[in-house]
Amino acid sequence: MPFNEDVAALGLDEYKFGFKDDIEYLFKSRKGLDEEIVRMVSAQKNEPEWMLKNRLKALKHAQARPWPEWGGDLSGLNFEDIFFYIRPNEKVGKTWDEVPEAIKNTFERLGIPDQERRILAGVGAQYESEVVYHSLKAEWEDAGVIFKGMDDGLREHEDLVREYFGTVVPFRDNFFAAVNTAVWSGGSFVYIPKGVKLDMPLQAYFRINAEAMGQFERTLIIVEEGAQVQYIEGCTAPSYSQDSFHSGVIEIIVKDNARCRYTTIQNWSHNVYNLVTQRAKVGRHGTMEWVDGNLGSKLTMKYPSCYLMGEGARGEILSIAYAGPGQHQDAGGKVVHAAPHTSSRIVSKSISRGSGRSSYRGLLHVQPGAHHSRSNVECDALLLDEEARTDTYPYINIEDQNAQIGHEATVSKIGDEQLFYLMSRGLSEDAAATMVVRGFIEPIAKELPLEYAVELNRLIELEMEGSVG
Amino acid sequence: MTDTMTAAPETGIFTRDQVEILSARKGEPGWLLDARMRAHGAFADAPMPSTRLEDWRYTDIKKALKLDAFSFAEERGPISGAGFAAGLTALMDEAGESAATLVQVDASVVLRELPEELAAQGVIFTSLEMAVQQHPELVQRFLGTGVTPDDGKFAAMNESLWTGGAFLYVPRDVQVEAPFRVYRWIGEGGTAAFGRTLVVAEQGAKVAVVETLGSDDFGTQALSVGAAEIFADEGATAIYTSVQRYGRGVIHLSTDRLMAGRDAKITTLYATFGADLARADVQCRLRAPGSHVDMLGLYIADGTQHFDNQTLQDHLAPHASSNLLFKGALNDAGRSVFRGLIRVHPKAQRTDAYQTNRNLILSDRARADSLPNLEIQADDVRCSHAATVGQLDEEEVFYLLSRGIPKAEAVRLVVFGFFGEVLEQLPLEGVKQELLRVVERKLDASR
Repeated sequence: MPFNEDVAALGLDEYKFGFKDDIEYLFKSRKGLDEEIVRMVSAQKNEPEWMLKNRLKALKHAQARPWPEWGGDLSGLNFEDIFFYIRPNEKVGKTWDEVPEAIKNTFERLGIPDQERRILAGVGAQYESEVVYHSLKAEWEDAGVIFKGMDDGLREHEDLVREYFGTVVPFRDNFFAAVNTAVWSGGSFVYIPKGVKLDMPLQAYFRINAEAMGQFERTLIIVEEGAQVQYIEGCTAPSYSQDSFHSGVIEIIVKDNARCRYTTIQNWSHNVYNLVTQRAKVGRHGTMEWVDGNLGSKLTMKYPSCYLMGEGARGEILSIAYAGPGQHQDAGGKVVHAAPHTSSRIVSKSISRGSGRSSYRGLLHVQPGAHHSRSNVECDALLLDEEARTDTYPYINIEDQNAQIGHEATVSKIGDEQLFYLMSRGLSEDAAATMVVRGFIEPIAKELPLEYAVELNRLIELEMEGSVG
Repeated sequence: MTDTMTAAPETGIFTRDQVEILSARKGEPGWLLDARMRAHGAFADAPMPSTRLEDWRYTDIKKALKLDAFSFAEERGPISGAGFAAGLTALMDEAGESAATLVQVDASVVLRELPEELAAQGVIFTSLEMAVQQHPELVQRFLGTGVTPDDGKFAAMNESLWTGGAFLYVPRDVQVEAPFRVYRWIGEGGTAAFGRTLVVAEQGAKVAVVETLGSDDFGTQALSVGAAEIFADEGATAIYTSVQRYGRGVIHLSTDRLMAGRDAKITTLYATFGADLARADVQCRLRAPGSHVDMLGLYIADGTQHFDNQTLQDHLAPHASSNLLFKGALNDAGRSVFRGLIRVHPKAQRTDAYQTNRNLILSDRARADSLPNLEIQADDVRCSHAATVGQLDEEEVFYLLSRGIPKAEAVRLVVFGFFGEVLEQLPLEGVKQELLRVVERKLDASR
């Protein structure tokens, strides 16, 4: 079928940011994970004692816990062969000029400073395991907004970190949360004071550069009562032959009447294992929205979660996954309704091509007493050729009589009829296919903050839309 | 698996010796003894499923089932209708249309009635035990090819220990409209019975089987471990209905496999009303182009009943279609688990497959777990699934109230209509009416 060949020729699967820089690493730990490594990470950061203790407890738990055996194939992941901590530079840059030249080049090519000059509120860029660049607009600093690297956050706001760290994702939650808690490094710390509404998004940019290096960013976002924030995280990584491992933990606390939107576009190179725990706790009449795009990596297992703890809380998860040849996107979302009158919506769109496999894995749990909860889940899968694979594994656990829960999923290919119709209107086959794919992801693409997240859109366009046409 | 895979120690009656004794007593041919022994090996090697296993995540069979507590259900000689337990007679009296009847009480088939004109057309309807003796080639060709020891501990348990059983063979182009009736009755608590059904519909044949499972209520646990293998050859039509009306105290676990050949059509209905804990593991294999499968299910749980339906629509061939609709209502602390999978294999292009599970939660102590899964490896397919869990449609109830119908009656009508959608699709008018009455009674009893 000529259409398939055309799609392959479009290079949808080629990694566009596969350049790599030569940087002299100031400190490079040895491979593997044990107590000595954990102590070294902690000592490097000059952390308070309680954090070290927490790391060691988590390490112990991870060592005792069996490897997860569900979801994607983790057999290629060998802890003995991974660097758990690398630090490129002693100092966190405050202005762009202070950032080392080689690192700057990487960001230049991804277009970060441009964006910052324009509209972005603050940029926290993680190069390797440390945040090397950070800025925040002055007026927000005045309002008490904190947007820092997690290490600085811990140093300068220890009380806040201590109060919330590990309360949404305890290290006992899952194997990779335990690993992350033991060796976490970098990530963002965000605090939005009561009633402060940011109308421009905060943005962090993550990159992995060193071969076989684990990246364990830890992000903690606290949105106080009535406050609002949008946080955007995008990832690209250079292509390497040896497998890399990325396992972040993102904890978000959305207090009463607060609102948070967290947008991630994951575009790791195709040898990265991306195993992330993203979870938000939502208070009364609070709203949490996850916009989750998974384009890159070899295997992603990521299920953004909303725990609706307060009456009237709302959770929304929008997920796009694209699995090209050799990729497995095991994505989805989880919502736990733990209070009455809570509502949630999950919309998932996945595209699979070649030997790519995209899976939706989701959980809807309505706990006893969460009466008048409502939830709706829609999963649509698009298969671009006959080799591609898609799976849908929703878990629906309902323990309250007054809940309305719906789940729907469809699987389809690009319809000959759709193509034929568009081509009869004078479009080329490629343009027609592009249009169908665009139409397919439109319900989520339109939720992306187009005006603000320039490179976000660029990635989407490069990988999914622009390349097709 | 993180469970230790040590073989379970031989418990109670489930020993290798017992399998040998059983087979010898029945005077079985060597191939059947071998098959039983192989199955026993698989049974003994498999640990009791724990909730760490994905398939058993919501049904804690390890906790519910104490294997060493059972004795074998009794062997019995032929019984005439007058000798039946009152409960069994009542079940049989409720049945309408019927082509032929076979009754298994405990370990033995005690009654078989096949009209002469069907026998004259070559229809065989007898106990599986008898068929082994009288039609060994036919039985050997099919038995154990649908349900194999690989299908889990309880499938292997059944294969090693089945007794009695039903065998139905419908030759080429013979079409029988009225259903063949199979009854399985458990007479005593503390016993374990292993019924097994084998149905073969040859090319162009048409057959319907209604299997009704029953018992009184028991104070002690009783165990029913069943298996069914249904083969529909090219152009054949097979309808298989299982009506589970066991009493309290019973644990019922069945493993059923239905195979559809080229242009064959299979309809299954699993109607689950009875037992403390019931689990049906049902797989339909669409093995050749043009095959079509309808899988229907309805369940009503009350008290602390726990029902678990595991389904697979296995699309192995192109141009096949399947449609699943399972609906349940849960009262009191009743619980249901539905885990359904549509699996489309790489070569199965042009598949049409649908799956719907709907649950009505009628009490705040009830719980429904629904896992409608898809695994699709072909691109030219149309597949969808839907699951809902909710309470009664208030608008529907309100409409009826506004017409002057009392609340209780309005609720009953709406629930009734909810199940009507399932029963409408059953192509056996008489059986549909019987089941509507059972639904009605169960709903009344639940309130």
